[in-house]
Amino acid sequence: MSTQQTELKGTVKERAQLALNNDFLRQAVKFTTERLRSGKLKAAEEHGNWEEWRERGRQIRLHTIAHLDYYLGEFANNARENGVHVHFADTAQDAISIALQIAKAKEAKSAVKSKSMVTEEIHLNQALQSIDCEAIETDLGEYIIQLANETPSHIIIPAIHKNRYQIAELLSEDAGEQLPPETSVLAGYVRKKLREKFLQADIGVTGCNFAIAESGSIVLFENEGNARMVSTVPKTQITFMGMERIIPSWADLEVMATLLPRSATGQKLTVYMSGITGPKREEDGDGPEEMHIIILDNGRSLQLGDPEFQELLNCIRCGACLNACPVYRHIGGHAYGGTYSGPIGAVLTPALKKNVAEWDDIANASSLCGACYEACPVKIPLHDMLVSLRRRKVEAGHDHPLERVGMKGFGTVMSNVKVYHRALKLGKLGQKVVVRDGGIRAKIGPLKGWNSHRVAPSISKQLFREQYGELRSELDQQAKAADPAVAARMREWLTGRDGGASHE
Amino acid sequence: MSNARKDWLQQLDEASKQKQEQFLNGIAAKLQRPRMTQKPQRPLQGAPEFWEQFELGEVEKLEMFQRNFEAAGGYVLRAATLADASNIIVDKAVELKAMHVLRQDEQLLEQLGLEQAMPQVKVRSWNDDALEDWKARAAEADIGVVLADYAVAYTGSLALLSSKTKGRSVSLLPTLLFALVPRSSVVTRLGEVLKPLDELKRLPAGIHFVSGPSRSADIENDLTIGVHGPGIVYTIIIDEL
Ligand code: SF4
Repeated sequence: MSTQQTELKGTVKERAQLALNNDFLRQAVKFTTERLRSGKLKAAEEHGNWEEWRERGRQIRLHTIAHLDYYLGEFANNARENGVHVHFADTAQDAISIALQIAKAKEAKSAVKSKSMVTEEIHLNQALQSIDCEAIETDLGEYIIQLANETPSHIIIPAIHKNRYQIAELLSEDAGEQLPPETSVLAGYVRKKLREKFLQADIGVTGCNFAIAESGSIVLFENEGNARMVSTVPKTQITFMGMERIIPSWADLEVMATLLPRSATGQKLTVYMSGITGPKREEDGDGPEEMHIIILDNGRSLQLGDPEFQELLNCIRCGACLNACPVYRHIGGHAYGGTYSGPIGAVLTPALKKNVAEWDDIANASSLCGACYEACPVKIPLHDMLVSLRRRKVEAGHDHPLERVGMKGFGTVMSNVKVYHRALKLGKLGQKVVVRDGGIRAKIGPLKGWNSHRVAPSISKQLFREQYGELRSELDQQAKAADPAVAARMREWLTGRDGGASHE
Repeated sequence: MSNARKDWLQQLDEASKQKQEQFLNGIAAKLQRPRMTQKPQRPLQGAPEFWEQFELGEVEKLEMFQRNFEAAGGYVLRAATLADASNIIVDKAVELKAMHVLRQDEQLLEQLGLEQAMPQVKVRSWNDDALEDWKARAAEADIGVVLADYAVAYTGSLALLSSKTKGRSVSLLPTLLFALVPRSSVVTRLGEVLKPLDELKRLPAGIHFVSGPSRSADIENDLTIGVHGPGIVYTIIIDEL
């Protein structure tokens, strides 16, 4: 199997030096972008019967999670049949230790990565670096951030806080020559550079949007094509998946493929949807020779059998709840502090840790309205969960006096129909913006992670901020009526976030 | 692969199988019931019933595919015959001054006669030389030419199934992609391609759906195409096939 590889012409390094026809690329880029910008783009038609699709999506997820032991076992056995090495990891440390064993056995010098929330959750990059294996993010924005030595978890779009001049500077330094601050030239440089990285890399690391139990396949959704690169070019592929990513069959994938891109970006389908079933076949000319899938628990199983939280595992990581949430839109993803942000993050982060004491006040604000539930393609009752979390925290005695009044203020909001509906309307407005605008401009592939979302164009942002201002003062008054200390605390909390946020 | 490595992998696999039992038993325990070893009954599966009935007519199907594919930034052309398709590809290659063209090793694509029609361009056929580094050749190619297995109207997607002669790289690495689709392979719903996969005994290693050019908006939210995958994607629907 591997003899063919060792006799290839030239060394890996030589082979990676590509004779790219750059003029061709430049022309090509002009060709398509001009056409897209000229406004010929038609808005995505309304997809009918959304409620029925949503309900079907929910049913599929409920059924799979309720029988997770069966389906996960099926998946693992079928993946092995396909020649995959499957691994189970209880904790982040277990997953890291398996990944490092593989990297060491391969004497890996570099790993190319496509966006994966699970690898962010377990801090894979740092671990690989500790054994001198370079971890290269290959998503354009992530690559830029990595060059800048910054972490994507603090930003909405990975590199949106950098203008093209700063990006040109970073990339020029990387290139060792001056590059002009033109998007197409910069992207062209990254294309060539990362191609060489793809061809040199020993390992490709991917996440997993869905895993199909009956065939042992993994499915990836993306727009750039880097996940395809990562899963096609390097000799060894390691895929990380949360243990709840399972769906039973390809027939079920049609439902997920209908729900996920529309909810995430408003696209009918992401540019690429790839189903990968094992390493390359003996006779194939490309694809990884060795494939590993690491299945991670890391606190997910704590939700199983918990009537209030089991549905958290139904989440398909689309980010719609973030976009719909007035609070997220106001404070931005970085304020949540965890790998996962927005309403889902507000519930998932403490749930994975089984540590209600660490639960942040942010959930207070996130749970104003239930817009997250309305937006969720698999109907997860996030707002109910936030209330339950809060209650559990109080029950466990982790509250302190100020927070208890906070709870009272929070209850007031929830019970005030007028305020509630105002908040709900705001959330819906946000949702519409996403769908309308998401077609082409929004940069929110599912592989982007949900804390890197940014969809609000300036007009709606303006509108949102006006309305949010009104809502906020109304909330303040409500809270004031309950207790002046709460009002002060809320104001402080909100201004604290407000001032430091980079969402403007 | 060395024996030591094989042993090591085998050990990993053995450990994993044991771990799997513990892992799955843990899940069953959390779900407060015994391990489930029989396939569970499912009242609902796949897309909603109303959707399964949805079927477009021949003309509408082609129109919808075109509309969706173009909305995503791709191009759709019609060719009556394979020879017409060949002319389209050659004209484009000349216009854009292509130097390398890579096509899949499919009989139909051979019949295009690209090698003969463009002697000045290096036209290669995927995987026909075991010693060649095909991934690198694909990475250099200006134009890739593939035969798509299906086109899906409702989502505006091409479906590409990998095999020995159908490399995944050919549709991914070149700057411009031509995908040929027999008119008879255009379907209405994604499910028409997905559901039959449940019946296959062994799936191809790569099943790729492609819905337009590779895109990114990571630099100042300015849309750019072709950061990793092809920046121009043409679908040619061939009437006679
Ligand atoms: S919880 Fe949020 S991210 Fe998860 S599926 Fe629902 S809307 Fe999408």
